[in-house]
Amino acid sequence: MFLLPKGNPLYENIAAAKVKLPEMFEKLKGGSFTGYLNFTFPAATAILFFEAGKLISAMLDREGKRLTGFEAIAGVCTLIFAGGGTLSVYKLSKDLTMCLHAMIHGDVLYQGQELKLIDIKGLLEKLKAQRLNGCLRIYTDDRTALIFYKEGAPLGFFHDGSTDIETSASESQKIAGLSGSKIDVLSTKSADELMHYDLLEMVNVTKLWESTTSRVATERDRIRKEAELVDRQQEDDKLRELEDDLKEVAMAYIGKMGATLVEKELNDRGGRKALLDGGLVTAFLAGVEKGAKLLTGMSKTKEMLETMRNEISERAKP
Amino acid sequence: MAEISTVDLVQILFWFLAGCISFYFSIGNARVWTSISMGFFLIFLSQLYVIEKALDMPWTAYTQLEAIHYIIGTLSIMVMTHGFQEYYIFSRTLEIGGSKQAVYFTILGLLAGSSAFVFLNPEPQYTVLRNIRMIENTTWVFLCLVNLDMVRKIYVQIRDSLIAKGFIAFGIVFIALFLWKGSELYLQVYNWDNDWKIIMQNLGGVVTDQYMGRRDFSILVHDIAGMLAGFSVGGTFIYLVRLLR
Repeated sequence: MFLLPKGNPLYENIAAAKVKLPEMFEKLKGGSFTGYLNFTFPAATAILFFEAGKLISAMLDREGKRLTGFEAIAGVCTLIFAGGGTLSVYKLSKDLTMCLHAMIHGDVLYQGQELKLIDIKGLLEKLKAQRLNGCLRIYTDDRTALIFYKEGAPLGFFHDGSTDIETSASESQKIAGLSGSKIDVLSTKSADELMHYDLLEMVNVTKLWESTTSRVATERDRIRKEAELVDRQQEDDKLRELEDDLKEVAMAYIGKMGATLVEKELNDRGGRKALLDGGLVTAFLAGVEKGAKLLTGMSKTKEMLETMRNEISERAKP
Repeated sequence: MAEISTVDLVQILFWFLAGCISFYFSIGNARVWTSISMGFFLIFLSQLYVIEKALDMPWTAYTQLEAIHYIIGTLSIMVMTHGFQEYYIFSRTLEIGGSKQAVYFTILGLLAGSSAFVFLNPEPQYTVLRNIRMIENTTWVFLCLVNLDMVRKIYVQIRDSLIAKGFIAFGIVFIALFLWKGSELYLQVYNWDNDWKIIMQNLGGVVTDQYMGRRDFSILVHDIAGMLAGFSVGGTFIYLVRLLR
């Protein structure tokens, strides 16, 4: 899960299944959108950064495994079809987008440095001197704060529990003051340089989307067919069991000819599936009654038919 | 008024009861039973002539009526055989077809056709009547054996059903009927019957008194089996009514 500033939310938590990715990308491109798309799926999260309508990076985190670029977009397509995901779209400034990009995709200058072991003042001066574009991540085991830089000057602060960039450094200083706090320094190219990359030009999203659609449709069709087969099998088993029980009832009242009579009357009506049709059930029972009258008494015939009727109405529901 | 023997009277009484019960049985049951029960009811109609003759009814002067009674007797075994055949087919294939009305109308049609045949031909003399009676007895004997085999096969097929014992009862009925009609046919074949005696008397001839033991025994079998047949038919249908209630 990525904790990122929300900026100006355009959409929040809309069903990802309703999204048609190529159309959405086209829209964002047309609107020169800057910001990020946050997809949240049951077991994965994806962040797609846009700068002036260009898709500068895509990252998919699936149970700790990170995919980027084409693989990330392909993964997002698949996960959208799998269902259960949500999408939020946040508009950010160009600079902040660059900083967030740095946080996720940037080059790691320092990683896991204990704050008490380094000269933080000297580090900040060094960053300023290097005109760093990027982000400082200060964290302990359970708390995190981010400081975004543009050309060595701080842009703003962000920490757990906040939803947007803050101008006050107090929370970041608090975390930095905690024992065991560490720091990561991540850098990236400037926003203008990042705009030279556009994944939408490198990846044919429409084709990718179509192939995913077709693959998912095939898969769904296969699953539906398998489910139908299982349903049919289960229904057939249920009807076979019912037929056996009806034969047992008939044998108890008529004798062994009862079983043959039930079998014959069902065969005359197209087999045991007739037990699912009200009209055919009536005809079946009438046929059994006609035959039973020649083999046993009226009262027993009525009792047997009542038992059969109850069994069928209880157990032969389509 | 002509004489009627006690045996004939008891037989008629039994056949009357059997006829009523079987006719009643045919009303509320399946078509197969209609053929069987109507067959047994027709035996009563054929036997009715014995009483009509004893009571000296005016129409008994017409020998055509006597012929028709014998034909009804022949039809009765044919109709019930048809019923048992249908039941046997049912027991093997479980197929039931046709309607009860068809059975009733076919029987009426056969009776009408037979009557037309008798009335369109010359008035039957004693010899002709005896021939018709012999045909009746021959048909009975042959079809009783056929029905005995059919009843056995039906019983084997349905032996664990409620009605199976009813078919054992029918087996007993057909044994009694076979003996009843068979003993009479035996007497006719050897010209030991009463009709032949009368014919010979009319012709001025004499029937010899040979083999009297066999003749008397056959008459005894005829009388007892006749009573037993009527009794067993009535009993069988009462039993069936109770079973199929």
